[in-house]
Amino acid sequence: MRILLYIVIMAIGALVGYKELASQKIFNKMSTIQYACLLFLLFIMGVKIGINKDVLMSVHKLGFTAVIISVFSIVFSVLGVKFVSRFIKAKKKVV
Amino acid sequence: MTIHILSSIIFGIIFGYFWPSEVLVQNINGLIDFGLCLLLFFVGVDIGRNKNIIDDIKSYGIRIFLVPIAIVLGTLFGSIMSSFFLKLSIFESAAVGAGLGWYSLSAIELSKHSAELGTIAFLANVSREVIALIMIPIIANRIGHMETIAAAAATSMDVSLPIITRSTKGSISIVAFFSGVILSILVPILVPLIISFN
Repeated sequence: MRILLYIVIMAIGALVGYKELASQKIFNKMSTIQYACLLFLLFIMGVKIGINKDVLMSVHKLGFTAVIISVFSIVFSVLGVKFVSRFIKAKKKVV
Repeated sequence: MTIHILSSIIFGIIFGYFWPSEVLVQNINGLIDFGLCLLLFFVGVDIGRNKNIIDDIKSYGIRIFLVPIAIVLGTLFGSIMSSFFLKLSIFESAAVGAGLGWYSLSAIELSKHSAELGTIAFLANVSREVIALIMIPIIANRIGHMETIAAAAATSMDVSLPIITRSTKGSISIVAFFSGVILSILVPILVPLIISFN
């Protein structure tokens, strides 16, 4: 259901952008508003982590394990996509 | 950009830890949802203004599925490798990795196995999200645009999407959203499945 909501919201945004329903001036301002919203959202996400004291208390005990798993996961998935992106881009050049 | 992202999160954690006001605690999920929807609208606007995006997507074709497949395989391989340095079994650490950044779901699923593994899943997937948010602009500059989607995994359809859109060009944000959707569908299947082998 959540995915559907996201798609609808982005589709409305895409329509506004595609039909240029706002002036260039507003579009330029949007980028600044977007960035401010993004930083605010990240701040709130930080607050959500900070409120969770039980989890924060176990960071010193389990944090190392958690970071090792996440770093390994990120490194190998980046390598995986780096590998397959060649095939995706290769097709693009032909077209 | 990276320094802004990092300081916003750290400032938020400190704020939440020392001043957890009742009003904020009660409304925090609604606030996150509202912010997310607003940002997704802006991502939509960016996509709509980029007129040749449809052609880009058509040229990827079925190969677009290679992105989420590579992310799942890379993540599982990475988390299995990490189990050799940790006190976790292969399946335990693979199940934690299979959260793909979706920390709320993976933590709930794995806390059924043990409270400790649930906490590890929460921390590992939160740190995947935070590291991804910080690294996306750097990965886009140094490694490649498509690779930013890999770091973000399941979060590339929501939280990380605005940063991916800002750091990359053209059709990458559509691929990111698509990959994020596929991965978010897989998380509730993969996590319980993998831990059941343990």
